Amino acid sequence: MARTLKIRAYETDGQVIVKSVINHPMETGRRKVKKTGKKIPPHFIKEVIVSRNRRIVMEAFWGKSISRNPFLSFQIPGRKGDTITISWLDNRGNTDSASAKVR
Amino acid sequence: MKRRTLLKASLQLGVTGLLFPGIAISAYPKKAFLAKEIPDALREAFGTTDIGESSKIEIDAPHIASDANMVPVRIKSGFENTESISLVVAGNESPFTAYFKLYEAQNFVSTRIRMADTSDLLVIVKADGVLHTNKRSVRVGRNNCGES
Repeated sequence: MARTLKIRAYETDGQVIVKSVINHPMETGRRKVKKTGKKIPPHFIKEVIVSRNRRIVMEAFWGKSISRNPFLSFQIPGRKGDTITISWLDNRGNTDSASAKVR
Repeated sequence: MKRRTLLKASLQLGVTGLLFPGIAISAYPKKAFLAKEIPDALREAFGTTDIGESSKIEIDAPHIASDANMVPVRIKSGFENTESISLVVAGNESPFTAYFKLYEAQNFVSTRIRMADTSDLLVIVKADGVLHTNKRSVRVGRNNCGES
């Protein structure tokens, strides 16, 4: 699978600000194919797990109302050189994970 | 609580690559996400609908959203020991939108959401075991948005 995650993390005053974008269609199941009128089945991310230095710091549970190619930003305590890992799981069982060093 | 500590400990032993599937600490609150009415969703997620309002929760979102499919929302909790932040979009078919569980000293999350119509955004914060809520109205522009 192509890379689906982009993560940027930087530290100021002991707080790490993480910004990430996940490439994902996030289909709600309500959209239709214009030509055929068929509904596009739902396909969305259900869970995102964030860890810092292999320790879980946040779990996000998402519904269908999150935008396509979801953007996620948050703040956690930490310092430069920490490793931030983000993993996601969608309703079809697809999953991906990526890490970034805090700058 | 013990189970969580155990799971966290086992994760620290270095199984980051195996985070998925199935090592999530808590279960996906499916019923809350399926609920069509806000009280039902709140009952499923928190076991109560009786939540006090608090201005310590800051919700930053545009007054008028130009693209209903990408409404940026920034949520900041003014409470210490914030345990979770949840977002409910009153006008959507399934109002319960996102549930963030926070395990360290965190109080800020931001994401982008879809809004079916002009409506209220409700944020529910759990801090020190107590639930707080605040809301913010967002108008969805129809003229200049990419309705697809």
